[in-house]
Amino acid sequence: MSQFSGVQVPKAESIAIQVTAPNQVKLSGTITQKDPAQDLAGFFKALHTAALADKLTEVRADVSGLTFVNSSAIRLFVDWATWVKNERGHRYTLRFVTSRNVTWQKTSFMALMSLAKDVLALEHVT
Amino acid sequence: MENAEKPSISRKQAPYPLVFMRFRPAWAYIDGIREFGRFFCQTTFGTQELADRACVVLQETLENAVKYSSNSADSELELSIESDGSNIEFSVSSLPDASHLSSLREELNGIQTLDPEQAYLAAFIRASNEPEASARLGLARIRYEGGVELSMKEETGGRIRITATGKL
Repeated sequence: MSQFSGVQVPKAESIAIQVTAPNQVKLSGTITQKDPAQDLAGFFKALHTAALADKLTEVRADVSGLTFVNSSAIRLFVDWATWVKNERGHRYTLRFVTSRNVTWQKTSFMALMSLAKDVLALEHVT
Repeated sequence: MENAEKPSISRKQAPYPLVFMRFRPAWAYIDGIREFGRFFCQTTFGTQELADRACVVLQETLENAVKYSSNSADSELELSIESDGSNIEFSVSSLPDASHLSSLREELNGIQTLDPEQAYLAAFIRASNEPEASARLGLARIRYEGGVELSMKEETGGRIRITATGKL
């Protein structure tokens, strides 16, 4: 059984999360709580660790349904990209599926791309 | 929205805020005020783009104000939104802990040495290099995604006013 699909999904306020085998996680809603790391940092880390254990070549993080997030939440995506970038052994491509219609996604994921373009990919949906 | 229903903004109104709110610095209010700001900008100015920019400005300025407010009885926040027909101005007044003031001043000065996109990217790089530190992406995000310039004014009694000004 894939470790990725077995990662425990946290119950987080105002956000719906779905993990689908073999390599997809989908987040929708809003993230504006004071410290979103409490709910989500451990979850993202567990997905990262599982992706390495499963030797995935790509993880698809579909955030197109995240209509608004605060900068503390954006920080969590920076951290995830940094973990992949700093991996010395097996690495996977972290592909963010974003919406062209959501302003924060356009600006923040373009900035994130320039931070770690060798391990990130962007896919746009409407 | 039909034009007939769209409120008009005239220069005559410029000295007076279009919106003025005063409230306790509580995190629970931020979502509601941000969404009111989205509705207000969409309804008054008729552009989704401005409504989205307003959301970023309001979320991040109010988060900062709430996070660093002092516990004293006169620490209410004041939010105003003004426009002269060409520009829009969001202004948040708060009473921060004195310990926060110097880091806020330093952060504002730092991001203003770079253009908004470069400053936002620099904030991402810093966050990536300092995983244990706090994010500190908010002010750079306001400038870049909100399409505004930021200024800070220190007022009497230890209050500060953060003003974000941008084109309509």
